[in-house]
Amino acid sequence: MSAPTHPSPQGSKRSGEQAAVEQRTLLVCCGSGCLATNAAAVADALAEQLALSGFDALVKTGIKRTGCNGFCENGPIVKVMPDDISYYKVKPKDADAIVASLQGEPVQRLLYRADDGKRVLRHLENPFYAPQQRIALRHIGTIDPESLEDYRARDGYQALEKALSLSADALISEVEASGLRGRGGAGFPTGRKWRTAVGFETACSYVVCNGDEGDPGAFMDRSLLEGDPHGILEGLAIAAVAIGAERGFLYIRDEYRLAQQNITKAIAQTEAAGLLGDDIMGSGRKLHLEVVRGGGAFVCGESTALMASIEGRLGEPRAKYVRSVQRGLWDQSTVLNNVETLANIPWIILHGGAAFAATGTEGSSGAKVFSLVGKIKRSGLVEVPMGSTLRHLIFDIGGGIKGSRPFKAVQTGGPSGGCIPENLLDLSVDFDTLTANGAMMGSGGMIVMDDHDCMVEVARYYTNFLAEESCGKCTPCREGLRHMLRILTDITEGRGQAGDLELLEQMGTTMRENSLCALGKSAPNPVLSTLRFFRDEYQAHIHDKTCPAGVCPALTAFSIDAAVCTSCGACVKACPAGIISGSKGAPYRIAASGCIACGSCREVCRFDAVRAERKLHT
Amino acid sequence: MSLNISIDGKTCTCESGEFLLEVARRNGFYIPTLCAHESLSEQGCCRVCIVEIVSGERSQIVVSCVYPVERAIEVLTNSEKVKALRGMTLALLQKLAPASSLIAGMCKAYGAPELPRLEARADDDTCILCGLCVKACAQLGTGAIAAVNRGIEKKIATPYDQPSATCIGCASCAQVCPTGSIVVKQDAQERSIWGRTFTLLACDRCGVILDTTEAVAYAATLRDAPPEHLCPDCRKQQVAQAFVGVYGK
Repeated sequence: MSAPTHPSPQGSKRSGEQAAVEQRTLLVCCGSGCLATNAAAVADALAEQLALSGFDALVKTGIKRTGCNGFCENGPIVKVMPDDISYYKVKPKDADAIVASLQGEPVQRLLYRADDGKRVLRHLENPFYAPQQRIALRHIGTIDPESLEDYRARDGYQALEKALSLSADALISEVEASGLRGRGGAGFPTGRKWRTAVGFETACSYVVCNGDEGDPGAFMDRSLLEGDPHGILEGLAIAAVAIGAERGFLYIRDEYRLAQQNITKAIAQTEAAGLLGDDIMGSGRKLHLEVVRGGGAFVCGESTALMASIEGRLGEPRAKYVRSVQRGLWDQSTVLNNVETLANIPWIILHGGAAFAATGTEGSSGAKVFSLVGKIKRSGLVEVPMGSTLRHLIFDIGGGIKGSRPFKAVQTGGPSGGCIPENLLDLSVDFDTLTANGAMMGSGGMIVMDDHDCMVEVARYYTNFLAEESCGKCTPCREGLRHMLRILTDITEGRGQAGDLELLEQMGTTMRENSLCALGKSAPNPVLSTLRFFRDEYQAHIHDKTCPAGVCPALTAFSIDAAVCTSCGACVKACPAGIISGSKGAPYRIAASGCIACGSCREVCRFDAVRAERKLHT
Repeated sequence: MSLNISIDGKTCTCESGEFLLEVARRNGFYIPTLCAHESLSEQGCCRVCIVEIVSGERSQIVVSCVYPVERAIEVLTNSEKVKALRGMTLALLQKLAPASSLIAGMCKAYGAPELPRLEARADDDTCILCGLCVKACAQLGTGAIAAVNRGIEKKIATPYDQPSATCIGCASCAQVCPTGSIVVKQDAQERSIWGRTFTLLACDRCGVILDTTEAVAYAATLRDAPPEHLCPDCRKQQVAQAFVGVYGK
């Protein structure tokens, strides 16, 4: 066997000492995304190949199944440590090549190909990862989420130990100094929430972790719960120590089965190890944590609805004139924090609030995890300092728009967020700036759209989501959404009327001002923000009966430009209606009838030969 | 702790934590409500009882039925903002319950916009989904009805829209409904409600109708005593006669 020629992270070549045994670990990403692309089989294949290779003599190897690396579209991801080499889109049949590479050259074909076409060897050289600053995600993709030892080997539970040695006041002061604001969407200062809770003397108090992540396209919390369960438990335990709670709940969306499994397992491990349970780390304090399966409603992510759901009642919010820090679960003082907020807590306690506040902007400190998805070249989970610009996120980290089409808008803040147009791309991403521009940061979902997205249809889509997911308790939200959806559907189907936009705005104002909870108050955002920035597109639908983006089927007809068509036949395969005909050498054409205007042909055409035109009604 | 607040310019005294609606009503201010009921716990969902609270530079719209007064505030019950929001909210309710004369009257009284562009739900509908019936059933009855579905599909129903096995036919739900939307049919022997027909029980002494057999039996289980088939008047008479028998000689 020849000595491995891998560059070691320190840059020093292997010395001549024969006895030196190098430890190598293959980190196989086993987050939900990679598992869906067969990561478990990849891990098994690697284990099998390692066993066959008999490398342990010189290179001590092991396999670790980690949480999500965030770059799911390129999964399964395999990292070789400590060489820090990342392989993407690994298949089980690649296992022998990877194992062989441990004593030879890296497998070039599995490395990431950067924008300039060059292969990227190291994980952190990847343009997707290089600009990131990971605080909440610090352990994810590195540790084995099912191993308490692995977490403890990386400072795990040291923050809790430190917290136990501090007075409640000093502990809360540290969190206040960090300037940490709730990552679930509202951005309420975490330290202030804890401080207020301590001020209310109720019979007992509770801590709750809100893991009911429901925004379409967002998976920050899932990744954290799956990939770093002990990090979340430690954050929750510190919150409990700060406010003197002895019981806590983790309300986890029921679809997140792996997250529930990992958290449940982590709770059992900590109780067995004496870290939580009847006597936290020998301090004499108690903390019992429980996982609660989410009720399957988007609105249960709202704190008071979530608490009602934990209590076994209907998941509907209540008016929050009396806050849940005063009257929460079973009418007792309750601190509820989002998963990502809690993930930041151990780091803050270990490194100090000032260190955290040094990152980000003045009003929004630290870093924030975003799930960057949509028509973008590199999609996934990214953590960047607060105050980064949208342009940096979308064009530097995300690599710009797929197929190099023009950017049109980015939808931020989940279904009740807003759409931000191109001229505002240099906005700083923080709580206050986005809200001031009619969008919101929300929990960190970001959906990028190009010129083939119709903003009226986008507004209709989100309004439809909210109409289904509103709890239906209060009049303005429920009835406003009902009528907004009907009008938007009319507009996208060519039945829009003069005066519709003013009516939408009038209803939107009533919903914003008069709804019961934050969901209702922000429910008109998709409509109001698109009306603000893309009003001409609405007007084209209403007055000209045309969809400028060529999306709304009732207003759009597709044709193939014979002068541009190369007869490649891609559209024929994509057409679900089977109405495109032609032959090699002659331009293809779409039949006069039978077209459902789905736009599939246009999406697959690499030569821009498919034209969307106004549909002529007879 | 006592507080002084200003409602439409009048100084009103109240206890800290009291709901604003109560304070206003006690001081002679009429604020319209639909989902508030003095015997059932707070809801705050119809959003008709809104008022504007001005505190320094800031102004805020709150629903008075669940807003606890905790500091000296200035309340406007009929500001332009309140009128506009209340009118729009009522207009939306009228599209939901086009057959309700109460809502139609309120729309007229509070100047709700007409909004012909918006489609009304079924023409004969009167339910405004205020949820009072569900609360009454949970507190006085057996929890036989509930809000079903979410969002714009929400409705009040028995499980799977089938006649409920747990319903006792007490009609508490119909009693609290502000728009008279729950259909109760009753003659000398029977009462029909929520798709079920119940036999009525008469007082053993005077024959006046007590309630359904199921409701009387349910009341007995709460008292942990055998069912008593007497109306309140006859029960008083019976007790009085027993007293006379012991002490009256």
